[in-house]
Amino acid sequence: MYRITAKEELDVRDFFMEVEAPHVARAWKPGQFVVLLIHKKGERIPMSVYYADRETGRLGMFIRRHGKTTFDLWDNFDVGDSLYAVAGPLGMPIEVKHYGNVVFVSDAVCGQAENYATLRAMKEAGNYTISIQTFEDRAHSYPEKFLAKPVADEYYLTTEDGSRGIKGHYLDVLRELIEKDKVDIVFGGGKLGSLKKLAELTREYGIPTIVTVRQIMVDGTGMCGSCRILYDGEIKFACRDGPMFDAHKVDWDDVIRRDGRFVREQEIAKKHYLESKGVV
Amino acid sequence: MARPKLIKERVPTPERPVEERVKSFVEVNLGYDFASAVKEAERCIQCPPEYAPCIKGCPVHINIPGFLKALRENADNPDEAVKNALRVIWNDNTLPAVTGRVCPQEDQCEAPCVMGKVGDPINIGKLERFVADYAREKGIDEELLCEFKESCTGTGGSVAVVGAGPAGLTCALELAKMGYKVTIFEALHEAGGVLMYGIPEFRLPKDILKTELEKLEKLGVEVKTNYIVGKTVTIEELLQEYDAVFIGTGAGTPKLLNIPGILLDRIYSANEFLTRVNLMKAYKFPEYDTPIAIGKKTIVIGAGNTAMDAARSALRLGSEVTIAYRRGREDMTARIEEIHHAEEEGVKFEFFLTPVEFIGDENGKIKAVKFEKMRPLEERDKRGKRKIVGTGEYVTLEADTVIIAIGLEPNRILVEASGFKANPDGTLIVDENLMTSIPGVFAGGDAIRGEATVILAMGDGKKAAKAIDAYIKQKKANA
Repeated sequence: MYRITAKEELDVRDFFMEVEAPHVARAWKPGQFVVLLIHKKGERIPMSVYYADRETGRLGMFIRRHGKTTFDLWDNFDVGDSLYAVAGPLGMPIEVKHYGNVVFVSDAVCGQAENYATLRAMKEAGNYTISIQTFEDRAHSYPEKFLAKPVADEYYLTTEDGSRGIKGHYLDVLRELIEKDKVDIVFGGGKLGSLKKLAELTREYGIPTIVTVRQIMVDGTGMCGSCRILYDGEIKFACRDGPMFDAHKVDWDDVIRRDGRFVREQEIAKKHYLESKGVV
Repeated sequence: MARPKLIKERVPTPERPVEERVKSFVEVNLGYDFASAVKEAERCIQCPPEYAPCIKGCPVHINIPGFLKALRENADNPDEAVKNALRVIWNDNTLPAVTGRVCPQEDQCEAPCVMGKVGDPINIGKLERFVADYAREKGIDEELLCEFKESCTGTGGSVAVVGAGPAGLTCALELAKMGYKVTIFEALHEAGGVLMYGIPEFRLPKDILKTELEKLEKLGVEVKTNYIVGKTVTIEELLQEYDAVFIGTGAGTPKLLNIPGILLDRIYSANEFLTRVNLMKAYKFPEYDTPIAIGKKTIVIGAGNTAMDAARSALRLGSEVTIAYRRGREDMTARIEEIHHAEEEGVKFEFFLTPVEFIGDENGKIKAVKFEKMRPLEERDKRGKRKIVGTGEYVTLEADTVIIAIGLEPNRILVEASGFKANPDGTLIVDENLMTSIPGVFAGGDAIRGEATVILAMGDGKKAAKAIDAYIKQKKANA
């Protein structure tokens, strides 16, 4: 069992959670993810990592209240409670080395966690780090202390409606940076639709771009094949070969379509859960 | 004493009626009771152990005539009979409730049975299962475990076992019996490996499996779940902490078909489908959180046990199911009992069809499978199966769900992370003692075989345990 050591609301949808999982924390590297199973009847959900602290054996994560499992996690698990399973680290670490000017862009929960985690490692490796974090609006943006600012040499926060930070999307800021010739490599995470656009933008300029390809997984170790994607004309497994891939080689339309495979079932589960809580 | 008359026919085991079982995941075969088990055991002509063909046919060499003799010798004292029988079985196999259910006995112990020359071979599988089930229900296995535990004298050695499937479990149990301190590292949240995620409840009830797994703890084996060796901990780290390592990671990666449409929705690998259903209990969704999306018409591609398991599970989830196989009926690799059960339950079979394209609808969901019709030749391949050729004729079958059950290959996470010498197909290269290219690291089961049976994996686990024992003793002697 894996004890919850911190829990905090980030915005109206997302929350921060810290869990004790020393076996994972000691081995985790940026780019890798973990799998959570909150209780015995739960499902295995892949989760991005905000930080992994070897000393304390704790993992920090950003989690969105999105489906049944994450509602359940927010509603019914508090500091001191335990999760049934935390497995990992899974996936391939990214190559942390000197690239020059490294940009991380993100516009959704999983990307926001990785924005911090990746840039922290990149900064230690001597890169000039630029973080761009996009939120929908002020109500859907994170408190200052959870932003990637401390690990960025240059930092931009944008909201799509301009209610906090710069008005616009990371794509707008990134385009300006690219035109100023400030970008050697881009890393990214978040919404799949944005990542597709990101790939199109950086391809124009020939800038290497590595992004997290979110896919539905079961085991997360390459056993089930659920997370298969078409990559450079070949079948790859997001869990085993990724989850971070060269954005220019990913077949985004297929990735986006496959991401919606269980929408109907997700809605059934959520409804069933909310009914059981007397919410609906 | 007059020579007893040979009884040619088997004492049958009752099965749950078809109409009842297709609606649930409860076990199909109901097994023997004591009286009928003794009656069946009495059919055995008691070949001496040194000649007994059944023992030779068993990959872990269970003393089969010995356990049958123990059963019938105490026909008036069932508890005593079962205890003695179980003691004989456990000498060679500590998971009889599993093997009694999932072994292909007809190809192994039962195939060369002398009784099979004059009538039905002895129903060895069901008798093994009976002994295990009766012992569990009466708590006899508990008593015996205590006995075993007393004989486990500490050797002062420790072994890490990677993977809690059939190979790893057997290796761990054998080493524990020899007195080693054993730790199993399992990637998933539950032990059991393919027994847990791959084999459905109706063939191997999970409660029964879990009782078998409790033996681990009772014999002092520690199981660390959620550990992905190669990621969470490396082989080098394990070698620093343990005297030896056994790899029983199985064949964890599904083979997919390299044909157009493979990314369409509702095309599952058998591994994904069965993991969702068995391990995650998607058949109880939404009580359990993991869903499975399945339509009205399912096509399962393949004809092994996995294909049968997937087909029968899909049927129980309310779909019509057709198994499509590229060869003929006689070449199907599944156990006869499972094929028979599938047919009884209403699974349809189509032979000599090779899938060439998955056809999707406008939403990217599978709608049909296009097959090429195949023709068998007289010539046979090295496995004795008739070769097949395409006819150039095609047929399209409607399907809103497809399950691909054409086989597996080893998961490369560990090989790639640790620098083992491996074959091009990802299987680890081992010597005659099952030692890999890294000294002190042994391997067995599908990790070295690609794809085989539960019992062959268990045979490897047992063989490796002996080799590990010898290796550690040698190492300590040299130290």
